[in-house]
Amino acid sequence: MSIYRNIPQKRPFGWPDVLVLAGVSTMIYGLVGLAHHWTGSAQLYEPVNLSPASLPRYSFYSLMRAVTAYFLSLVFSLLYGYTAAKFKRAERIMIPMLDILQSIPVLGFLPGLVLGLVAVFPHSNVGLELACIIMIFTGQAWNMTFGFYTSLRSVPADLHEVSRIIRLSWFQKVKQIELPFSAISLAWNSLMSMAGGWFFLTVCESFTLGSKRFQLPGIGSYMATAIEAKDRRAMIYGVIAMCTIIIFVDFVIWRPVMAWVRKFQMEEIQGDIAELPFVTQFLRESWLIRRIKVIVKRWERRKQVGDPVAAPSTPMSSTERLTMEIRDRIRKQKIWKPEVLLRLTTPALIVISLWGGTRLWESIRTLTPHDWKVIWGSVGLTFVRVVIALAFGSFWAIPAGILIGLSPRLTRFFQPVIQIAASFPAPMLYPLVVGLLLRFGVGLHWGSALLMMLGAQWYILFNVLAGAMGITRDLKDSLTMIGTSRWTRWWKLYLPSAFPSMLTGWITASGGAWNASIVAEYMNYGGSTLIAPGIGSMISRATDAGNFPMLAGCLAAMVITVVGLNRTVWHWLNDLAETRFRFER
Amino acid sequence: MITPDKPIAELKDVNHTFTMGLGQKLKVLKNIDFSLYPDEIVALLGPSGSGKSTCLRVLAGLLKPTDGEVFVDGKRLEGANPWVSMVFQSYALLPWLTVFENVALGLEPHGLSKAEVRTRVKRAIDLVGLEGFEEAYPKELSGGMKQRVGVARALVMERPIICLDEPFSALDVLSAETLRTEILNIWISKKTQTKSMVIVTHNITEAAWFAKRILVMGTNPGHIRVSIKNDLPYPRDERSSGFKSLVNNIHDVITQAIIPDTPEWVPPALAGTSIETLPQVHLNELIGLLEFIAARGGQGDSFAISKELGKDFGQVLFLAKAAELLDFVDTPKNAIVLTDFGKRFIQGDVNVRKRVLHEALKQLKLAQLLEQKLREADHFTLSIEVVLSYMHEWLPNENAQGVLDTLIQWGRYGELFGYNDDTKEIYLDVGQEHA
Repeated sequence: MSIYRNIPQKRPFGWPDVLVLAGVSTMIYGLVGLAHHWTGSAQLYEPVNLSPASLPRYSFYSLMRAVTAYFLSLVFSLLYGYTAAKFKRAERIMIPMLDILQSIPVLGFLPGLVLGLVAVFPHSNVGLELACIIMIFTGQAWNMTFGFYTSLRSVPADLHEVSRIIRLSWFQKVKQIELPFSAISLAWNSLMSMAGGWFFLTVCESFTLGSKRFQLPGIGSYMATAIEAKDRRAMIYGVIAMCTIIIFVDFVIWRPVMAWVRKFQMEEIQGDIAELPFVTQFLRESWLIRRIKVIVKRWERRKQVGDPVAAPSTPMSSTERLTMEIRDRIRKQKIWKPEVLLRLTTPALIVISLWGGTRLWESIRTLTPHDWKVIWGSVGLTFVRVVIALAFGSFWAIPAGILIGLSPRLTRFFQPVIQIAASFPAPMLYPLVVGLLLRFGVGLHWGSALLMMLGAQWYILFNVLAGAMGITRDLKDSLTMIGTSRWTRWWKLYLPSAFPSMLTGWITASGGAWNASIVAEYMNYGGSTLIAPGIGSMISRATDAGNFPMLAGCLAAMVITVVGLNRTVWHWLNDLAETRFRFER
Repeated sequence: MITPDKPIAELKDVNHTFTMGLGQKLKVLKNIDFSLYPDEIVALLGPSGSGKSTCLRVLAGLLKPTDGEVFVDGKRLEGANPWVSMVFQSYALLPWLTVFENVALGLEPHGLSKAEVRTRVKRAIDLVGLEGFEEAYPKELSGGMKQRVGVARALVMERPIICLDEPFSALDVLSAETLRTEILNIWISKKTQTKSMVIVTHNITEAAWFAKRILVMGTNPGHIRVSIKNDLPYPRDERSSGFKSLVNNIHDVITQAIIPDTPEWVPPALAGTSIETLPQVHLNELIGLLEFIAARGGQGDSFAISKELGKDFGQVLFLAKAAELLDFVDTPKNAIVLTDFGKRFIQGDVNVRKRVLHEALKQLKLAQLLEQKLREADHFTLSIEVVLSYMHEWLPNENAQGVLDTLIQWGRYGELFGYNDDTKEIYLDVGQEHA
């Protein structure tokens, strides 16, 4: 009598292996194709074929761009986060700068990147591809960097002391203490980043700059073409393909990664055995993978035998080992230190920022007072839309999140679904929604607020759900015993308990909504251009027209507004949440 | 209507089974029959896992038992018990409400006028000695003060029964003692509507100090082992001889329950097939106990030991039971005596200890079964899911995960089994055999 149906078995060579082999060969085939495309002769506008048969290829291209951008983001986050966390002087510039970078929408990076990189690689596609990857990167990197920086800062003091006592070099410390400690936060933020990177895929792969059109083959440009042609069937194909990519990435990458990082959890979690993610289980069943593991293990063992220090014939006592280690460390006194690097890069950074600043200033100076009036008016309009989007999103997402979070059964089912829904780039749905809106006679003026809500609501839902899950049984029981009304329960327990996480949701959602305004307020829909007045459409229009002073002015206004809101409203609410609404541990 | 000889609340043949993840079922309450009479305090005393908190939640109507019924005032209970208010171990206060508001929450369903609420809340706050703290937020208060708010919230509701779920466990010793005296005084003074109290605790002295009736609960699944009457007059003096003999009496009952002198009778048909479960204790603590006994000349009284170690009595008995299972100690009456085998274990260095434990584990039925299964497996390795399903077959009534955790822990130390947390696999440690 066994109660588990899915007991993994060690099978001989079988269908898991066939699938592994098939996966690897597809990957190789795709990469060869990609290499061919990259090095092919420069083609700045590649027309897209709307037949569904070309979707696998386009999906693969887009996925590879996102993955490459992700690795760039990871490297950037590690370097930037580490430097900011370790060096007080750097921190003072780097963290506010990150705040600013985070609030610049992707179109702000677009002209510089594209014009620069295309000029560097005039004869191949490398320039445009790189530009596209870096634009995706700008949608991914910042929150990972923030996450890594914060978790580095929260490494407990006793771990620092331990590493000093055993005299770990800075690199060993990073490897043994700081990276493992940050692993969980890095993994979660990676998941979020990947979703953030998809958001502007349509823009990143297909855009107009001045009089020139640029387009790279991919799922984003497929969607853009379908929208322009008003081909509803192709749009639906595109949405399905995007969903497939997201679910694929979730199953094959994020679930195994999340299961793996659990071992870095600092506190012990009690409870029953965790379920193995499908892919991990699957790989463990594969005969091929097991063989490879055995071979790698053997090879490692052989390597160790060859190295007498690594495999001592008699076990050393711990004191012996410690003295040896210390001696070793003194011998290899590190000459190269990260401080040196910092000292070299700081002046370079300052020079670059000064140069960029003056260029920006020169550009902005040409704007007339009338231009500024229009710009700030547009900021106001978009601000109203962001507020409406948040309000409408909260209206359903807060109650739903609490109801789901209160029930473990609903949570188990909905959490992964919401995670996937939140990863889906909302702008891809915009044309479909706009079609509906136009039919009901709602213009883009108010409709764009709805579009902004489309992406933002998931962040609220996801966070509120997590907050509601944290309400303890004793608290719920105490209100049950009193026999309070449902009204009291919601207003005195559920909503205040979820407030801190609700706030996190709002902050993320509002950042997303500001960004989304660029595509929500300005849309090429079946040959005609729909425009809702606002800072987003101003930015899009300025990019399309190649009006760089206007673009710079709009971006500056938007950055000032977003950073200003972060520093005042959100900051104040955060303080309130921390002092009043947080349960003590 | 409350009359002295009629129970105000009753649990009749209550059974409860939890469904855990992956469809595992765990029986936590078995055949609980219990009546609460007016003007009495009942203590539910038992080790963790004896279902005492679950019992209390069934009485409070927070948990609907899978089987059996609850009666209040002669009527069948549906939903939360309107005659019960509750005090929680974790206080269960809302951090965004002041002390006054937290207490006033208890009156919310009554729909009283503001003035009425104010007088009633003030009175409850006065009773627990929190005057002057009405406008404070919970986070400004110490643990003892927070629990006073919890008590005040229970009192303000003016219900006949107060259920206290380990109310002092999160407090330091001194705060616990003061609060305990005050709660009892409030009850004795009859200044409130409270007729009866039910307190859940694992502390024997606390139970003897509060209760007129002590229900000693046993584990696997949770059940009432015995009911002990306590007619000592209030207020009780912990140093009086009557109190001391009562406490000793409770100790004897618990000891007999956990490590009986005569083994439990097994039907002949099942003899030889029955598998003993493992008490879920940490090996380090077990070794600590053995070392402690060895240092006292190889034997000691279990109650004295628990006092000296400052450990929960039930916990010490579980450690003794585990040690007995491994043949390291004998447990005649209340005493724990090291065996020669146990002496060999405790006097050796780490490597000797590992060897001795290895031998001891080889005599253990459960370990034998697992070893046999591992020998039959590929590479002497099985995944944890498979082993868990075996565990369920071998010990249908136990928390298989907990027993397996213990077995892995002992097996690792005794170098009988190994466990790889990355692959979630258990394997036979064959190193010992070749050595």
